[in-house]
Amino acid sequence: MQPCSREMQAMNPLLNPAQQLPLQDLQSTAHQQIQNPHFDPTASHDDFLEQMLSPLSSCSWSDLKSPWDPPKSDETGPPNVGFHYDEVLASKLRQHQINGGDGGGVSSPATAAIKMMAQQQMMLPGRGVAGMPLSLGSSGAAGSHHQNDIIYGSSFKSPNQQGGEGSMQSLYNGFSDGSLPGTNQTQHFQHPQAPNFGATAGTVMNQSQASGSMTPAQPKQRVRARRGQATDPHSIAERLRRERIAERMKALQELVPNANKTDKASMLDEIIDYVKFLQLQVKVLSMSRLGGAAAVAPLVAEMPSEGGGDCANGGGSIHRNSNGNQTSADNDSVTVTEHQVAKLMEEDVGSAMQYLQGKGLCLMPISLATAISTATCHSRNPNKGGGSHPLLQSNGEGPSSPSMSVLSVQSATRGNGGLDGSVKDAASVSKP
Amino acid sequence: MNKYNPPRMNPSSLRSRFATRFLRTLSKINAQKPTSSSSPTEIFRRYRRIKAAADKSMAYSVRSRRTWSRAMLWKLRTRPCGRRSVKTSTIIKSREARKTRHEKQNKNTTTTTTTTTGEDGVVFGVEADELRELVPGGEAMDLYNLLDETAHYIKCLTTQVQVMKKIADFYSP
Repeated sequence: MQPCSREMQAMNPLLNPAQQLPLQDLQSTAHQQIQNPHFDPTASHDDFLEQMLSPLSSCSWSDLKSPWDPPKSDETGPPNVGFHYDEVLASKLRQHQINGGDGGGVSSPATAAIKMMAQQQMMLPGRGVAGMPLSLGSSGAAGSHHQNDIIYGSSFKSPNQQGGEGSMQSLYNGFSDGSLPGTNQTQHFQHPQAPNFGATAGTVMNQSQASGSMTPAQPKQRVRARRGQATDPHSIAERLRRERIAERMKALQELVPNANKTDKASMLDEIIDYVKFLQLQVKVLSMSRLGGAAAVAPLVAEMPSEGGGDCANGGGSIHRNSNGNQTSADNDSVTVTEHQVAKLMEEDVGSAMQYLQGKGLCLMPISLATAISTATCHSRNPNKGGGSHPLLQSNGEGPSSPSMSVLSVQSATRGNGGLDGSVKDAASVSKP
Repeated sequence: MNKYNPPRMNPSSLRSRFATRFLRTLSKINAQKPTSSSSPTEIFRRYRRIKAAADKSMAYSVRSRRTWSRAMLWKLRTRPCGRRSVKTSTIIKSREARKTRHEKQNKNTTTTTTTTTGEDGVVFGVEADELRELVPGGEAMDLYNLLDETAHYIKCLTTQVQVMKKIADFYSP
């Protein structure tokens, strides 16, 4: 088996993409071959073919067989031209190997090659015998597919100007990946174009590489589906779950007023803030029934305009909510309170708010305060000169209605950067 | 305008149900305490009572169709027992109640609190917990149901606020 081993060694560098020298040798020999449209068995050809063909019988047939197992089953005359072609060649080669014994006879590989060439020429316009063993060898090397084929493609590109590219392509395609559908190869057959050779070879290579398997067509499509979408049940369930949650988020968005959907997290924050706000409003409203102590928390402004609209014709006679105490704030105490609040706000806004709460006051912007004062001053009997003071206003009313206590602090002067995001410079107004 | 015709409201809508109940309770409260007391504790108590009345009437309007209403009703019922232990006991009670109810429905609620945050927890970890605190009865719910409950809760809260606002406006001079 020494010649076999020698030829194996010769094959090995062929299989190894890193070594270019034997490839160049092959290229040169192939070059010589290809230039002749007909196969002329010369001595160099014989040696070359002997090198190529004999080790293939011993070692790499198994490798070569594996990609083509399904198409090999039908050798008679399938419409799959590419497969068939490859099969025929392979079977011819195999038969020759069996018949001709080991690679002793010089002429036998040549005759085999001649037969194959004849076959080729019958089926295809062109040559490519040299290409065939080369690509056979290349197909044997699964890992080095990429580079080998591209090398071959590029090497055979220039010599095959005359139109053998189609056959080269077909051979190449057929040998490199048997998984391509036959239509691709027929296309390659029918449209041999020199500039596209490298490109199609590249795309074919990419496809075969991307599929990652040499399986026939049907499993390949499944592989492709798996890449785009998840097909295992867990991810499907997760996807469904995420979609449902997204639906619910959209429904919530419509309820919550500030619904510019940037992302889920901020949307959730908005929702949380809104729920807090509503709960606070309920608190404030229930407080206001009592009258008097107005300040719940200076977090939210209740616009007086929202209160308009139809009155609730809810019930029969209901006692007027008796108001609580009135925050009697004289002017002196007002200024004192003001200063206190101002001082507190410098340190900590929260404590300032608590102080206000303790006093029964709350915070609101001046514009709102003026609006309220002008609106309410007409309807009520102003007990005190409410609204005169620019900063602090407290309207005390009689027992008929609960009082509305308002404290407005000039937030601008205080530099309201310390307030929380939700506070802004608003205040809670307890409406009577 | 001479005659003010309020638009016809659906008598069985959430809003009208809540309004009737709430006004009834309010009148009861007012009947109890005709004179206003000036002490802050009294005021505070009254405020609490009114707020409880509002929440209770809202919860009753929703009946027990919603988890949050059930939880709120539990909370309101166990409130007089104790202030501090209310929260934990209501949580436990609501969880148990929900478990017994949902076990019939083959729904696993208690074990989903921690595990659900694993899947979507990367996105919703902190906010979901916060939302659970806000929405009554939200502690033992997975994210999906939590969002559903939140939507309904927001709707009810807005109704509540609107009605109370209008009552306040109506009765203010």
